[in-house]
Amino acid sequence: MAALQWPFLALSFINTLLLRIGRQLGWIAIGLMVVVILVQVYFRYLGSGALPWPDEAARFLMLWMTGLVAPSAYRWGGFVCIEMLPRALPSLLASLLSILLLCISTAVLIAGIQFGIKHVNSGWLFASSTLKLPMQWFGGKPLPIKLAWMYMSLLVGLILLLMVNIELILRSAISVLKPDHPLPVDADQAKLDNT
Amino acid sequence: MLVWFLPLFLFFLMIGLPVFFGLLAAPGIVLWLNGQERDLALLYRNVYNGMDSFPLMAIPFFMLAGELMNRGGITMRLVEFSQSMMGHLRGGLAHVNILSSMLFAGLSGSAVADTSALGSMLVPAMEKNGYSKRFAAAITAASSVIGPIIPPSGIMIIYAYVMGESVAALFLAGIVPGVLVGVGLMAMTVIMANRYNFPVASARANWPARGKSFLRAFFPLMTPVIILGGILGGIFTPTEASAVAAAYALFVSLFILRSMSLRDLPAAFTRAAITSSVVLLLVGAAMAFKTVVSLSHTPEMLAEMILGLSDNPLTLLFLINILLFIVGMFLDAGPAIIILGPILAPIFTDIGVHPVHFAIIMSVNLTVGLATPPMGLVLFVASSVSGERVETISKAILPFLAVEILVIFLITYVPSISLAIPRFFGFIQ
Repeated sequence: MAALQWPFLALSFINTLLLRIGRQLGWIAIGLMVVVILVQVYFRYLGSGALPWPDEAARFLMLWMTGLVAPSAYRWGGFVCIEMLPRALPSLLASLLSILLLCISTAVLIAGIQFGIKHVNSGWLFASSTLKLPMQWFGGKPLPIKLAWMYMSLLVGLILLLMVNIELILRSAISVLKPDHPLPVDADQAKLDNT
Repeated sequence: MLVWFLPLFLFFLMIGLPVFFGLLAAPGIVLWLNGQERDLALLYRNVYNGMDSFPLMAIPFFMLAGELMNRGGITMRLVEFSQSMMGHLRGGLAHVNILSSMLFAGLSGSAVADTSALGSMLVPAMEKNGYSKRFAAAITAASSVIGPIIPPSGIMIIYAYVMGESVAALFLAGIVPGVLVGVGLMAMTVIMANRYNFPVASARANWPARGKSFLRAFFPLMTPVIILGGILGGIFTPTEASAVAAAYALFVSLFILRSMSLRDLPAAFTRAAITSSVVLLLVGAAMAFKTVVSLSHTPEMLAEMILGLSDNPLTLLFLINILLFIVGMFLDAGPAIIILGPILAPIFTDIGVHPVHFAIIMSVNLTVGLATPPMGLVLFVASSVSGERVETISKAILPFLAVEILVIFLITYVPSISLAIPRFFGFIQ
């Protein structure tokens, strides 16, 4: 039992911390997305004409928002599924089914991460056509941003989802072995719901 | 061999695998068994490419706008305005509930947000006024489905993106069906109010009082005007309109109504980010799934099967409505559209159904599914805000569901209900 409990507690602690950071960055990203699109509208009608970079910048932010925040939704049970069968089964069978489903999810995530690494590696070869770091402000030339930085958002999301998935597998396994054992829950969810 | 991904996907779905993983696991396993390694890599890339979309950005923005409106006390002003207009009728608060949902639909586009925002306010008020709790919860749940039908609508953005339709055309096509659902529910309320002698909520408000409540609700009520006006006037794209709507909601809540402070913003932004990230991941997975749907020639095979049942489009539309209604009982509208849209839409457009008409049939039918037992999401939300059991609400909602089914068939067999407005504005031919 301890062999499961300690890894679970350690992973739970790490996930709580990482996902909290992810949510903080996520809400800043959605706020910046609004600002970037408004900047585009402003420049098109009241400024010097449409700017080349806001559309891609907003997509960049949206991809990172998704990658950083979706794992929190998964941990809090926010991924849509049909729960009729698990609800109809006796609790032990339901827990075993839940472990099986989590194992399938793990396989998908591991395969996804493998393809994700290749995808990101391919992204170092290409640069964004519109997104550039304004190095001219510091006496240099504008530095195009590599597409890998955008591709990385999904990979990071999948890695975080895998970490949450492993935590959920450990949680389910502990529940099967010792159903009454109290396990810590993520207090951040209740805090957010009550705000 | 490849065609087995569909039964496998349904199996995964039925045993409770999250839709996101099911959309990737089923085609992934079949491609792997088929030795199509290159297509597996394509599957991954299409998840990414599916999410990397400018039009899709409207989803987080509309969710943010709805969240800000909801948290900013704007719902209360809409209810007050509705009460001044309809509170004097027999069954007044039930009418207020429906009208508020119609007005709220112009701000949020989410049935869940509607049920939780209006339900927490109106269910206790209706109970106090002499309605049974189950009726109050049922009318709240039934009217909340108007949310995703009247624009802006999250599921229509998803449909437009997945199927390559115009968001503006779908938004416009949803107006009359949404109003029809509202009017139908009000008609049913009138029948029930007379039969069960429902109470009157308040004395008839005079026009100055109505004007005052309209002014209090003026800024929130301007949101759909800005969104649709901006899109139709060619000023904004739908994505830009959604960002403007979010900024407007923020401005109204912070500076005009002063119902929110800067301190409230991180939580509201985080909630919008969480909800939209789930949808965005799902859409990405759906775009990957769509690739395998095309590779496997599933639509052609299903088309052959469906067209074998009948060659009469009217009969086929009837059958497809039954199928969609059953699917809607078990699955949320968004994922159902993501899964079924690419499979069913080409079949029906090939037999002459207008793509926008089919989009509305599908969206309205699956949206009504949100309020149908056993898995209707808004039933669970209505249960949690009212404290009434889901089973009890499921029974009380039946007369309203009957009205909504009637509206679905009206929309199905009278295409101009959906097509007249987008055609008038030149968005479709």
